[in-house]
Amino acid sequence: MPIESRRDDGTLIIHTEERVDSANAQAFYQELESAIESDDRAVVMDMERLTYISSAGLRVILQTARKLQQQNAKFAICSLTGTVREVFEISGFDRVIDIHSSQADAVAAVNG
Amino acid sequence: MGDTAGGYRILVVDDEPDLEPLVLQRMRRSIRSGQYQFVFAQNGVEALQKLGQDDAIDMVLSDINMPQMDGLSLLEHIPEVAPDTRSVIISAYGDMKNIRAAMNRGAFDFVTKPLDFDDLRVTIERTLNNLEAWREAESSKVRLAAIENELDVASKMQQSILPTEFPETDHYDVFGSMTPAKEVGGDFFDIFSLENGNIGLAIADVSGKGVPAALFMMASRTLLKGAAIGLKDPGKVLQEVNDLLYDDNEAMMFVTVLYGVYNPETRTLTYANGGHNLPIIVHDDGSSSVIPSTNGVALGILPGGEYEQSSITCAPGDTVVFYTDGVTEAIDTEEEEFGMERLQDTFDREPEDCRKAVLSILDAVSDFAGGAPQFDDITCLALKIK
Repeated sequence: MPIESRRDDGTLIIHTEERVDSANAQAFYQELESAIESDDRAVVMDMERLTYISSAGLRVILQTARKLQQQNAKFAICSLTGTVREVFEISGFDRVIDIHSSQADAVAAVNG
Repeated sequence: MGDTAGGYRILVVDDEPDLEPLVLQRMRRSIRSGQYQFVFAQNGVEALQKLGQDDAIDMVLSDINMPQMDGLSLLEHIPEVAPDTRSVIISAYGDMKNIRAAMNRGAFDFVTKPLDFDDLRVTIERTLNNLEAWREAESSKVRLAAIENELDVASKMQQSILPTEFPETDHYDVFGSMTPAKEVGGDFFDIFSLENGNIGLAIADVSGKGVPAALFMMASRTLLKGAAIGLKDPGKVLQEVNDLLYDDNEAMMFVTVLYGVYNPETRTLTYANGGHNLPIIVHDDGSSSVIPSTNGVALGILPGGEYEQSSITCAPGDTVVFYTDGVTEAIDTEEEEFGMERLQDTFDREPEDCRKAVLSILDAVSDFAGGAPQFDDITCLALKIK
């Protein structure tokens, strides 16, 4: 599960790739752990290139959101594609996590 | 099991003197056949003494309210004297507070008063199956790498909570099946008999894997059963289970649940959804539709979450099919998903009965997947209206 991250004007932007399923969810979690610093206050996860996410992957998103909340950071995700969007809608996670259609909107939201 | 020849030993703890003759009478066949032996104690103190003296006791069935030492305190002390024993408590109908307290203290399951002996028999069987699974896993611990062993334990725990008997009446029949993935997933389903001839049907998918997920699954199943018999409205049932699961859920596990109550008299299915895939109804001409969606988040993550409920009226010949994402997200060798369309296209006419309905879906998924590995549990539960 390769992720790519960069900091842009105080916002940590993380790109997720391909699939997150039960086989690589733990690795995904560890990569996020090392990408996020304890002084990050604004984090956006861009899912444009993510094609599939399983419930194990959703749990990682939830754990990350909880961790960021504890360090008073704002967190949003953006650019969900068809199947991934459906998984968020069916599970009701679209009501738990802040979701935006574009990266610009998400960045504005976590800096608002 | 200390004494194989004598079957399983079950310690019944209750201050009510009428229970002993009643158990001996109603369970006489199992006693005579050597399947079960019963021993009795009047309160927690006496129960602990018996457990201390008799290491062949496999299971404890205990009331909650008793003089000297109540059932909840007893549960706390059992691991000290008899760690390899499973406990089931007897609680008042719908008493979620005590059921939850007992679960937290390690109870495996519960039955409600007044005792329904058919239910008790099933519960005893399930409990002892679970105990056997643990014992097997324990004894093979030496042979297996830790992680494999953990997955093995989790998978046996998962199997032990699934119903093995399916109701069949003049008005409807029910059938369910779960095909586990190699690496344990977390699907389960359950069927409960409710008041006034109604029947409760649940299908669920727990996030994560291994023993923590399996324990979360057991808690989900037991809380769901408790809430289902205590509360009428499916929406309220999910709300209650959600709040209970949310407490102490540091690991951020969650479970998606679709829970419905079918009333055979009015042929209505009233349901609520906690983030699960929506069931389909297959009509008598083989056409099918997805049931209307209702609002609700997966259980265990949002405190105070509310669950909308909705009702549909079925026609004779309709089959309601509940399923998990292991069905729709099964992939073929090209990594294409099975999907909703193929699920609905499985039927070109009315399924004969719900066993056949479930089996034709499993066959369709397996034909589609070809040689592609199965990543998630594949679970289907069907209700056919006659």
